[in-house]
Parts: sequence; C-alpha cells; structure tokens
Amino acid sequence: MGLQNEEKLELGCSSSQPRSKKWVLLTVRVIAFLATATATLVMALNKETKTLVVATVGSTPIKLTLTAKFQHTPAFVFFVIANGMASFHNLLMIMVELFGQKLDYKGLRLAMIAILDMTTVALVSGGASAATFMAEVGKNGNSHARWNKICDKFETFCDRGGVAIIASSAGLILMLIISVMSITKLLNKPKSISS
Amino acid sequence: MVKPKRLLSLLLRIIVLGATLAAVIIMATSHEKGTFFALSYEAKYSDTPAFKFFVIANAIVTVYGFLVLFIPSESQLWGLVLALDLVLTMLLISSISAALAVAQVGKKGNSSAGWLPVCGQVTKYCNQVSGALVAGFIAIITYIILLLYSIYTFLNPLLGKNG
Repeated sequence: MGLQNEEKLELGCSSSQPRSKKWVLLTVRVIAFLATATATLVMALNKETKTLVVATVGSTPIKLTLTAKFQHTPAFVFFVIANGMASFHNLLMIMVELFGQKLDYKGLRLAMIAILDMTTVALVSGGASAATFMAEVGKNGNSHARWNKICDKFETFCDRGGVAIIASSAGLILMLIISVMSITKLLNKPKSISS
Repeated sequence: MVKPKRLLSLLLRIIVLGATLAAVIIMATSHEKGTFFALSYEAKYSDTPAFKFFVIANAIVTVYGFLVLFIPSESQLWGLVLALDLVLTMLLISSISAALAVAQVGKKGNSSAGWLPVCGQVTKYCNQVSGALVAGFIAIITYIILLLYSIYTFLNPLLGKNG
C-alpha cells in the first residue's frame, strides 16, 4: 500500500483518491451538466405567441399578436447566460477529469478547480433565484404595484419556465455537492514532497 | 495575543456583520405613502416576496456573523464555520439577485408584460431599496474575500513550508 501511494505521488498525479470516489464525482458532474444544459435549452427556446381578436370592423377581425419571449425579461436572460456558462464549466471539468490528468499549473490544479466550482455555484444560484422571483411576479402579479399576472394568458410559457427553473435548481444542488467535494479534495491534498 | 491572520479574519467578519445589518435595517424601514392618479397607496418592502427574502437572508447572516465572533480561536468548529460560510454566501447571492431582478422591473418596468415602473411615484422608497441593495452587495464581496481567505489560511498549515 505504501509503495502504491509513492508511485501515485511520483507521477505528479493529483488524483490519489480511490477510484470509486473519482467516478462518483464524475457521475455527479455529468448529471449536473445535463441539468444545467436542460435549463438553458428549455428557457432559451421558451416562446409563446397568442393572437387575440380585439375588434371587428365590418367583416374583418382586427387581430393583435402578443408574444412572450424570454428575452423580454432581463432576469431570464441572466438565467440563460448563467446556466449556459455553468454547462460549459461542467463540460470543461468533465473533459479535464477524463483526458487531462497531467494538466497542472504550479500545483494549483485542485485550487483552481475548487475556486471555479465555487464561482459557478454562485452564478447558478443567482440566476435561479432571479428567475424564480420574476416567475413568481408573473404568476401572482403584484397588486401594490399594479402589475397584472401574465401566467393565465401565457400558460405554456409559464410552464416551460417553471420546468427550466426546477432543472436549474436541481443542477444547483448537485453543483453545491460537487463544490463541497472539490474543496474537500483540496483540503485533504497530500503534502507535497519537499526536498 | 491576537495573531495577524485571526485579526484580518475578524475584521472581515465585522465588516460583513455591519453590511448585512445595514441592509436589513435600510430595507425594513423603507416605507412610503404616495398618490397615483388620485389613488393613495403605500409602498413597503413586504409587498414583494423578493424583498422579504432579501431581509430574511441578510438577517440570518447577521445573526450567524454575530455568533461566530464568539467562537474561540482554536476550536474544532472552524471547519463547520467554513462550510456554513459557503452555504451562506450562496444564500446572500441568491437573495440579492432576486431583489435586484424585481427592483429592476420596478425601476424600468416591463413593456412586454404591461408592467409600469413605480419608481416615479415612490422615489424615496426606491432610493432606500437601492441603498439596501448596495449594502447587500458590499456584504457579498466582503464575504467572498473572507471565504477565500479562510480557505487559504486553512490550507497554508497543510502545505508545509514550501513556496
């Protein structure tokens, strides 16, 4: 056992964890990637058009077309961007885990992974919460500010938005777990061999 | 005998405590009565769930920050404090993000949804909410610095004496 540890340390490999832990982390990353990617896609393709007939002049009805798009709300735009960046980060981390075991920069690999994980958690939590509260205003309106609810008119838009937010929240919890695991890896890093 | 590392960490925690306390107080006391086309109405922070969430989140962090100041220097609890710091940073970030989202609609309105901006009618309320958000922002930035510093000091004894 002692010989195996020395061998692993000599390779400069920073994953001297048991293999099962590495695969657990990888699986959780893949699921988190799927969750954030789903959230991004569902919200980015969220669009609903409704045509209302507002008046009838003679025999031709005057139609009014209303669209609900995610771009109308800055909170949803931030949501899409945050989840997109989180998906990219997860994908990058998966690639580095699988193919870039030797990549290192002055021994700071684990620290950089931990810090990047933390920033992504912060980003996704900001995006998810902004979108949740905007969706709440859309669903219930705000009587004090005279803002009418829009979910009764644009049901599909609201439903899809809800699905995206749920997917993002699931991704957020997974990313929090990943971040805790990365920090634990960092804090349990074996002491560097000093000459 | 207070070590310089502990002093810096303590200083950062006091700044965070002050900022979150200020955010809670400023947001909770934002209150204005106004008239809007002969309708009189009142604007309070509790009208919007997002602002309520902001107040609650910052209140939790204030109480936690106050309690943490009393933990002795060499206690075993500091690992738990580090973990809680991460979770509370996330909570603070989501609370300010939610409050910002709703405040942005209040200031600019949302023409596609037919929501009019309300800041023109209740300017004092809007300014106070902005002040609370600024305090919350300062709290978050200081907290992130504190978190990174805690991880750095936690790591340094483990890394040995190289570099």
